[in-house]
Amino acid sequence: MLELFTYDFMQRSLLAAALVGGLCSVIGVFVVLRGLAFVGAGTAHAAFAGVALGFLMGWPPLLMAMIFGLATVWITGWVEEKGRMKLDVSIGILYTTTMALAILFIGLMKTYNAEVYGYLFGSVLSVTSEELRMIGGLSILVLGLISLFSKELYFIAFDQEMAEASGVPARRIFFLLLTLIALTVVVSLKTVGAILVFAMILIPASTAYQLTHSLTTLTWYAVLIGIACSVGGVLISAAWDIPSGPAIVLLSTAVFFLSVLLSRKRRRQPQIATV
Amino acid sequence: MASPLSPIIHFDHATFGFPGVIALEDISLEIQSGEFVGVIGPNGSGKTTLCRAVLGLMAPLKGHLKIFDCACDELRCHHRAKIGYLPQKGVVDRNFPVTVLETVMMGRYGALGLFARPSGNDRKIALDALAHVRMEGHRDSALGHLSGGQQQRVFIARALAQQPQVLLLDEPTTGLDITTQHNVVELVQHLHQELGLTVLLITHDINMIRSRVDRLVLLKTRLYAAGPAADVLKPEILSQVYGKDLVITERDTIIVEDYHHHH
Repeated sequence: MLELFTYDFMQRSLLAAALVGGLCSVIGVFVVLRGLAFVGAGTAHAAFAGVALGFLMGWPPLLMAMIFGLATVWITGWVEEKGRMKLDVSIGILYTTTMALAILFIGLMKTYNAEVYGYLFGSVLSVTSEELRMIGGLSILVLGLISLFSKELYFIAFDQEMAEASGVPARRIFFLLLTLIALTVVVSLKTVGAILVFAMILIPASTAYQLTHSLTTLTWYAVLIGIACSVGGVLISAAWDIPSGPAIVLLSTAVFFLSVLLSRKRRRQPQIATV
Repeated sequence: MASPLSPIIHFDHATFGFPGVIALEDISLEIQSGEFVGVIGPNGSGKTTLCRAVLGLMAPLKGHLKIFDCACDELRCHHRAKIGYLPQKGVVDRNFPVTVLETVMMGRYGALGLFARPSGNDRKIALDALAHVRMEGHRDSALGHLSGGQQQRVFIARALAQQPQVLLLDEPTTGLDITTQHNVVELVQHLHQELGLTVLLITHDINMIRSRVDRLVLLKTRLYAAGPAADVLKPEILSQVYGKDLVITERDTIIVEDYHHHH
């Protein structure tokens, strides 16, 4: 088992998994608290349509993924802000439309392209040095922005209208959050794939949610759980020769159910004496 | 900062709503710095719209609204930070994973501006705000574990942590038991006196606030009356707004049947 760590591909995979696991978990905290779970799923499928178009036209697939992902979240946010439609309805329409586009683009390809499916299902064990650098660069950008605007992001996750009323530029921060979700999805496409990235965003934060009542502690727990499950999933994948994406997600799911069983929140809390 | 004699909030023939739906019509009203004003009216009378307008979240369709000498639709973040706001109970997810101190610290964020990190001084301001509402002993408690009255106190502390000039409270006693309602309104009155805050309190409960406010504002889409409680709470004025739902008992208690039917 230990000899696995001596292989270059394994070192790259573990580093990519740790970066993606940590990044998805941090953004997941805001996604879970702000109730944007469906946005994560919709963005992932839109980004996959971008990848498919990239391969069809010979354009850089990740750049196309980013354009599709950002366009989806911005249109969704704009439609919600204008009050034209609820967020889950607009993302639902874009989700299915972009998925239809992805199937169309794949259908238009003359030959079977296995690489496209790598972005759908993820393959962290085949991450190249160049991809790792891209993942590292985008992770630093996203984590840096989250760190810079963390207090505003927490506030809009708690109550966007109250944040706006208190003098926080809440609408701009909401669009920043949507942008960061899209970037996180793009960063994660290669490692966990378009279908499973949504789980990586949602599950570690939801697991941490079971364990604490403090925002700060919630974020740290989510990061630790996300990194541990991603790295653990890669090791299980390599040791048992099973696909890495499902290994990461199923391990995360097992930890989630364990946290539900152990959660102190599930136990009846004594009400603190009334005023 | 507005001088004590100038109006801190100035509605000038202002109409609010959405195209085709008028929520408040032709409102002219001045609220002076340091006043304690109660806003009353039946369901759907535009009380919450008035609240959103003062927060700069709604621009007038007609007329003008100035807050701190600034048109409400041009309010900048630093203006908004001067208005401490307590939203209606039920608007906020009370089970959100957040501690009492983390909640109150959010009151500092608007005033701090982007990029700035909360300092030790901000923490001290938040702790002082908790002390003002007598909740300092619960600073590490989960917000969701507190009683309704205690949560209201925490949200008032969050508003105080903004170091506001105006305290805007939207139905702060709804859903609380009668003793807690009195405690919350007493606390607001105490803060008004101790900190010299301008208070705008929106409520259904006329009897609870009539003896505590400087002025009452009676709304039903239009402004029906504004002035000292004794001038506004006259049967002939109230019956115009509440109609047959209004009952005034021999002990001068005002009962609005309509309110109880709707809740």
